[in-house]
Amino acid sequence: MIVDSLVFAADGLVAALDGAGIDRAVVCPPRARGHGYDVENDRVAALVASHPERLVGFARVDPLAPGAAAEAERARGLGLAGLFLHPWEDAFRVADPAVDAVLDERPVVVATGYPWVSEGLQVAELARRHPETTFVATNGAQINISGLGQDDAFLALESCPNLLVQTSGVYREDFLEGVVARFGPERLLYASAFPRFDPRLELLRVRWAPGLGEAERAAILGGNAAALLGLSGAAAA
Amino acid sequence: MIIDAHLHVDDIPSLGWKLAASDCVRRLDEAGIEKGVVMTIVDAPEVNPGALELVAEACAAFPGRLEAFARIHPWYGDESVALLERAISELGFKGLKLHPVTTIAHPAGEDTLRLIRAAAAHRAPTLFHCGDEPLTTPLAIARAAEACPEATIVLGHMGGYFHVDEAIEAAERHGNLVLETSAMPYPAKIREAVERLGAERVLYASDGPACSPRIEVEKVRLAGLDPEAERKVLGENAARLLEAVR
Repeated sequence: MIVDSLVFAADGLVAALDGAGIDRAVVCPPRARGHGYDVENDRVAALVASHPERLVGFARVDPLAPGAAAEAERARGLGLAGLFLHPWEDAFRVADPAVDAVLDERPVVVATGYPWVSEGLQVAELARRHPETTFVATNGAQINISGLGQDDAFLALESCPNLLVQTSGVYREDFLEGVVARFGPERLLYASAFPRFDPRLELLRVRWAPGLGEAERAAILGGNAAALLGLSGAAAA
Repeated sequence: MIIDAHLHVDDIPSLGWKLAASDCVRRLDEAGIEKGVVMTIVDAPEVNPGALELVAEACAAFPGRLEAFARIHPWYGDESVALLERAISELGFKGLKLHPVTTIAHPAGEDTLRLIRAAAAHRAPTLFHCGDEPLTTPLAIARAAEACPEATIVLGHMGGYFHVDEAIEAAERHGNLVLETSAMPYPAKIREAVERLGAERVLYASDGPACSPRIEVEKVRLAGLDPEAERKVLGENAARLLEAVR
């Protein structure tokens, strides 16, 4: 089973999943413009309801917005199984104390690698404050096309057993293989961040990485996400 | 013929990066690529006075498979220019590579322009690391393109993650800019660049061997170019640039 651990609610989503052979996906709201995240969370819940066999929904909140914690809780009632935070788009520092109030036991995907607000080590600071919560950092916990974010990403993983990283946009195979070698395949999740990245290309980063074994590949492509979300292979079939 | 216009050979213990010429060739072979252009991670004369020899020896070990670009630190004035002259005239290097994050030298600074012009005198291109970091953005490098219209300047990574649109726009304004596809994660932007600039101004590269030349080739194929444009991007453009050097 292939599970895309991050896609956004966007036109063409299900067709893109079909085209890339992806069985299931975690769908998150895009940036809200002109309205609050309650509207986007409702849209994601409706999208999940129309494809319950394919999609798992996560709720998005702006932690600095009034009522953010209440919206996170309301989204639980919609069946949204985790939280998504985008410190860059929503303009907050990920380790800001205000973030603590919106977190609960649900897993949290954090848009990571953005300068000043969600660098890998900043996400690690948040993860250290919430050891019972699983955090998933996008983009290998780094965005740097010189490969200069890799060491901070490794330090973040080393210091936080409750931190996982996604493969989205990570062009360095030595980083992906290094995560597996140093921390185990269970710390790495395939993600495309569709429509930001192309799932057809993003899948190849895992499928063609020469240093990964078949069991490791299967875990990264779907098994780890299924375990995190409580999915079963039978349910996807 | 496929040519990979950007690979590295070097040994950087502080980052744990060991990139051998044999790794480059092995990865080119995996992807069915005939030839690659290799360069170091750090510069001559500092922090590696032997950087040119390192690359020259890598190319000599694999005749016909590897071509060389010289990484030269712009701060050293006449010495920097002399190193570039030696690289091109004596050692057969085909271009200049600059990574302004590692050299703290602005792309349009006088020291850098002097090197770009010296390369252009040999019809050799200058490949810049062009990403999201200060000193490497398309608009900064565009100032160098404007100051050196006789030089072919290649935007390596074509703007990285967040500056790809600006790279395409800068290339529309400056006909001496060429976009290079390595690591940049958007296949659709390769197609857009070809449509807006022409297939002659887009170059395939991988930034290997730590990045996969095979995946990077597939990225170009996912762009869905017509066969003639794909041939140009994957190899013919690089061949033309390499053959022009005198």
